[in-house]
Amino acid sequence: MPKWFQPTTLLCGALFAISPFVIANAPYESTMGLVQKVFYYHMPSAWVFLTASVICGIASARFLATGNLRHDRTALAAAEMVVLFGLLTLVTGPLWARKAWGTWWVWDARITSSLVGWMIGWAYLILRQYGGPGSEKLSAGLALFGMANVPFIYVSVNYWRTIHPATTVVPKLPFSMGFPLLFCLASFFLLMFLLMSLRMRVAEQQARLDAIYLSLDERA
Amino acid sequence: MRILIRAIAVACVLMVQVAPSVAQTQPRQQEVFTPIDQLPPQEQLPAAPLLVGAYAFVLLMLFGYLVMVSRRLTAIRTEVDRLDADVKRSGKG
Repeated sequence: MPKWFQPTTLLCGALFAISPFVIANAPYESTMGLVQKVFYYHMPSAWVFLTASVICGIASARFLATGNLRHDRTALAAAEMVVLFGLLTLVTGPLWARKAWGTWWVWDARITSSLVGWMIGWAYLILRQYGGPGSEKLSAGLALFGMANVPFIYVSVNYWRTIHPATTVVPKLPFSMGFPLLFCLASFFLLMFLLMSLRMRVAEQQARLDAIYLSLDERA
Repeated sequence: MRILIRAIAVACVLMVQVAPSVAQTQPRQQEVFTPIDQLPPQEQLPAAPLLVGAYAFVLLMLFGYLVMVSRRLTAIRTEVDRLDADVKRSGKG
């Protein structure tokens, strides 16, 4: 692994270790109380989920345009981030909603479109795993739909009737709540960057191994 | 005087229009005290297990993914080393 990987991993670990203390110091929200603190892990997970969808879409578009396998490996790593952080978002959300809204799940536009985005991530990975030769181009096409879904997820709360908070909540947060959120956002984005680097390294090594097997077959 | 009467009349009409909305926005007067164990189950739900559950789930999933990727990387490296050794052995033979 590159030299920067280890210190960055240590920094990320430290940020995650400190984050519970930063969150504990944030004030309680007036109507939801303690359970609102799920927000500090739920929203960064959601933002990483959406960012990974965009990265996966852009890398797939570049792969389709240039045929460069490096972009394909980036898209594959990002798709795993979509599935991982999408799962975190879709599980922490209902745990918060159960207390705040009195229900685990609501089929509103944001939750439903997030579920669709997460399933597109799964579809991408399943297609890559079991689609056979040429599946990387098919899955790249699928990733474009995943990326197109992202703006819809973001603005859906402003256009459809929902009990989800509006997008104006975050810009209007007071510093005492905004700082823990920014702290957790930094931790989650750094973690996404590290996990993607690690996953891309695995894909590179796998490609190297495949090349070795191919050359051995040609020699035989 | 006429102007004053008109102004009072306009003010009264406006108050009649505004009064219902003001009345609706005021919180309802409490008529009884309800013990917490008599609340509906949804309102009795403690927040701490949900909060701890959410944080534990996030950390466990992240750790699990990290272990999974590390194991994949180790397996590939082991396979590359084995292939290297095989190639060297066949070269000597």
